[in-house]
Parts: sequence; structure tokens; C-alpha cells
Amino acid sequence: MPTLLGVFTTPAGVVQAVTHLKGRGFTNLDVYSPAPFDEIEEAVDPKPSKVRIFTLVGGLLGVVTGYAMTIWMSLDWPIVIGGKPFASIPPYTVIAFELTILFGGIFTLIGLLVVGRLPSLKVGPGYSARFSAEEFGLVVEVPERDVAEVDGLLRASQATEVSLVAA
Amino acid sequence: MTPPPGESIAAMIRQTPVPPDSQTNRDVMNIFMTTPGLGWLLLVGICLGGLGGGAAVWIYQIYKGLGIAGYSHPIFWGAYIVTFVFWVGIAHAGTLISAILFLFRARWRNAINRSAEAMTIFAVFTAQLFLGIHVGRIWKAYFILPYPNQRALWVNFKSPLLWDTFAISTYTLTSLIFFYVGLLPDLAIARDRTTGWRKALYGSLALGWQGTSRQWKSHNRTVLHLSGLATPLVLSVHSVVSWDFAMAIVPGWHATIFAPYFVAGAIFSGFAMVLTVMIPVRRIFSLEHILTNYHFENMCRFLLLTSTIVTYAYFIEYFIAWYSGVEAEKTAFYLRLFGPYWLSTWIMIVCNGVIPQLFWFKKLRTHIPTVFVISTLINVGMWFERYVIIITGLSREFNPAVWGHYTPTWYELMIVAGSFSFFSILFLIFLKLFPVIPISEVKELVIHERAHASGQPAGAH
Repeated sequence: MPTLLGVFTTPAGVVQAVTHLKGRGFTNLDVYSPAPFDEIEEAVDPKPSKVRIFTLVGGLLGVVTGYAMTIWMSLDWPIVIGGKPFASIPPYTVIAFELTILFGGIFTLIGLLVVGRLPSLKVGPGYSARFSAEEFGLVVEVPERDVAEVDGLLRASQATEVSLVAA
Repeated sequence: MTPPPGESIAAMIRQTPVPPDSQTNRDVMNIFMTTPGLGWLLLVGICLGGLGGGAAVWIYQIYKGLGIAGYSHPIFWGAYIVTFVFWVGIAHAGTLISAILFLFRARWRNAINRSAEAMTIFAVFTAQLFLGIHVGRIWKAYFILPYPNQRALWVNFKSPLLWDTFAISTYTLTSLIFFYVGLLPDLAIARDRTTGWRKALYGSLALGWQGTSRQWKSHNRTVLHLSGLATPLVLSVHSVVSWDFAMAIVPGWHATIFAPYFVAGAIFSGFAMVLTVMIPVRRIFSLEHILTNYHFENMCRFLLLTSTIVTYAYFIEYFIAWYSGVEAEKTAFYLRLFGPYWLSTWIMIVCNGVIPQLFWFKKLRTHIPTVFVISTLINVGMWFERYVIIITGLSREFNPAVWGHYTPTWYELMIVAGSFSFFSILFLIFLKLFPVIPISEVKELVIHERAHASGQPAGAH
């Protein structure tokens, strides 16, 4: 199927085009954006990002590791320190807290890589340096017979140019 | 339009001239793509000299032992620990600006957050050097980690020094992740516009980032979550550092106010350092249109706020020493003001408490040379604050048998100077290798403004 690339200068145009394309059933589309714009991401995929699960798992793993490590190590070779119980929760909370943040942070980074499909060696269809300047690119796969219609639809949504690109 | 008849037209359309690059890209790329000038080389040269001196002294100290430091009974925490705490404090501005101001949606942070984050990382690296320097027997430094060993001995998790190890390591890694995630889109911008070794460097670091909506979406989420994690982390790290002192019963240290007092001081010194570094950077690279006086004024407001908190903490320390009726506490604080370290104490009070109050005046907040001088004085004052806390505390404990006097030796001062060189070299290299202004975040504002101002899409600049 041919792939069409529409170039936009405003996020509003992209949102309009994405909404129309999706309404017409062209769902195989992607947007290149030079900066984050919530409205575009919302239009392309309204589902909340799955990165949240990674952070949650990492944080929980961290807090469990923090307490488990400190308590087990204190019991493995018990020495009375400062007259406190071997497994002394208040001081260990500091360690557990730090590991919560540490594991949460590392897992969030992994989440970014997994959910964002990075690293990737593949250059997306129609990607060029202008989309890391100040323009937006909307690529959409359309059947041969709908090319003209989609072309018009993109231009109606303020696309400054529309072209066919190699998929 | 009729359906295009295949490849020929597509090929023709593909040859559309590419519009000129965005102004923001060019402005920021200019900073790190241009060949380093004489000034830069000179600065690096000076810093290399300082670093070499510090490194030589450290090697000598490893050979000779900690005896060459000015340590004498009962003061075994000296300039190394003072400077360690100083650098950890400096490290607080970056993550505060990136995380807390992000959560508060303070838009003005966009222009300064990258440089502040870089400073955070370099300051933490510098601080960590001092852990190695201070322990003396560097080859045993790994004893602080809970690693499995033949004697099945574990570290003492009830010790604040262990908490500190975990806090500082976590802070280093989390700040590094934060910095890298923020840098990712900008690395892709650099990759698309460079050739040769730079393209290879940025290309491999950018991991194939193309700014697809899936990537931005997970990126936004990641930044949000990292901010959420880093906010309590920033507040915890210097709290933990303060507990290194506050958990001991030394007069002048054993106070519950220490955690918030240290955190405010850290933010205070961190912002001052960002100003001290960024004012010359802005001047040299003419970034006035990105890093405006508005940014600097807002940072001055932060300085004013944190200075007031710190001054309040100074006051409360004296009040509690008097109110507690504890003889040792009263003496400790009397000696701070009028004892052998009176000069350090007064430098600290004047630089941190009195001079920043000048920022009440808008004229002074917006007068850049004044801001530069005051922020530098704050850096000096904050180093002396740690000096006062650590040295005066240890020099007069409860019993005359543990009274003593400490003066830093030249060896120690050379290592301290070397640490400033180390920090500066890292920052100078960063200036010439990575975008010092977060390009995509600034661009976000530019595109927003353009869309709102005209209501009609304008082309790229």
C-alpha cells in the first residue's frame, strides 16, 4: 500500500488531520513531531502510556529489596548496635526509600525503551531532518484507490505539502 | 487531484527543497558545534593545571597517608568533608529545577534545566571524589558496600554513613537517567545535522529517536514519573547528608532542624552556582534571547526565599541553644560567633543571610553584574557554612580532653581547588559536546507561541 506524508507547521493541523483520518478508518498512521504536544499524542493514541506499569513494578521491587536486604543481612550475622533490635525498621526505611527511587527510576528508563521501541535501527518512512526542525510529519498508509482522497483531506487540514514516500 | 501515476511523480515531489533549519536548532547547535575558541582552551588549560595539582597531591596523600591533611585530635573531618557537603549541595539545583518545577509547571525552567542538570551530575561526581579522598585508604573504600565476603560480615545499616552511601548513589544514577532522558530528543536533532564522529556519537546515543507520537508519549510519561521519583529524592539526599551530623551527639550538630536546614541551604547554593556559571555562558554565547533576564530574576527570587529560610535556621539554632539550657550547646554557639572560628562564621552570616536580602530590590535582581557578584559570594558563604558546622562542632565537644584546633593544610586546599577544576572541566567539555539549552523544550514554546500569535501557521524561520 502507498504511504503518504503530509507536512504541517502547527500541531492543530496535525490533530485535525489525524482525527479525520481515523474517522475515515485510516488507522495505520504515525506522526513525527519536533517537540512533545499532548494533543497530538492524545489524537494518535488516547490510551494511557504503559510506562506507568514499569515505574510501579520497579518501585515496589525497590522497597521490598530495601527492607529484605537490610533485615536479612542484620539477621545473618546478628550484632547488637546501639541497643536496637537486629531488624530495626526506622533506620532501614531510609535504605528502602532510596532503593524505591533507584529501582523505580531504572525501571522507568527501561519502560521508556520498551514502550517507545528504542533503540531502533530502522528509519521510519518519510522521516527526514525537517521533523527535528520545526515541522510535523504525518505518515499514513492508504490503499491505492484512496490516495487522492487522503491527499485532499491532508491539504484541507492545513498540510503545507503532501507527498508519496517509500514505505 | 488524480491518483499519481507511480514512482516518477513521487520522485519529483520528493525533491522539494528542504526549508531552512529552525532558529532554535541553529542557535543552540552553534554553541557546541563551533570550534572551541582561545578563551575556552585557556580555561581548560587553567583547569587542567588545577586538576593536575589536586591529583598529584592526592597521589602523594595515598602514598604518605592522611597525616598530610590538617587532621589533629579530635578533628578528623576537615576540608574534604566540608567540600563533599558543598558539592552535594550544589548538586541540588538541577534536579529541583527539572523535577519540582516541572511538576509545578513552571515554564521558565525550560531554558535553564539542561545546564542545571549537567551541573548536578558533575557536582555529584566531584562530591564522590571526596569520599575516596577522605577515607585515606582508597583501596578499602569498597568496604562501605554490602558485598558478600568470606567472613559473611555485613555493613551496619543503622549507620547514617550507610544511608549516605545509598542516598548519594541513588541520586547519581537517578540524575544521570533524568539527564539522559531529557537529552534524548536533542541528541536526535544533533544526529540529523552532523557528520563524522559527531554523527556516530549522537546517533548511537539517540538510540534511533525520531519523535514519533509513541516515543513522545512514553517520553512524557517517563519524565513525569522520574520527576515524581526525583522530587522526594532531592529533599531526601541532603536530609540524609545532614543526618551524618545530626545523628551524632556533638554540640551544634544534634538538632532536628538539620534536615530542612540543609535542604534549603543546598537549594540555595545550587541556584547560586547555576547563576555563577550561566551568567558568563550566556554572555559568551550571546543567548540573551533564550536565557532572558526573566529567568535570572526568577532564580534570584529563589535565592531570596532560600536565603531567608537559611537565615531563619541560623537564628533558630542560636535560639534553641539558649532555650535548651544545655551548657555545651550554649558554649558551642557562643564560640561560633566569638571563638577561634569567628571569621568563618561571620563570612557565612554576611554572605548567606545579609547580602542576598538585596534581592528584595528589583533593580538589583535584574542588574546582571550584581547578580553575578552576589551569587559568587553565596557560593563562598555556603562553603563556609559547612566549614563552620563541621569544624566548630568537632573542635569543642563535651570534655576538655577532646578540644582542639584545625586549620586546613595546603595539601587539602590544593585538592579542594582541584575539585573546582574537575567540575569546571566537565562543564566546559559538556558545553562543547552537548546542547546546553534543551532544544525541543524551547521549541515547544516557540511553536506554541507562533500558533497563538498568528492563529495562522507560519513557516519555519
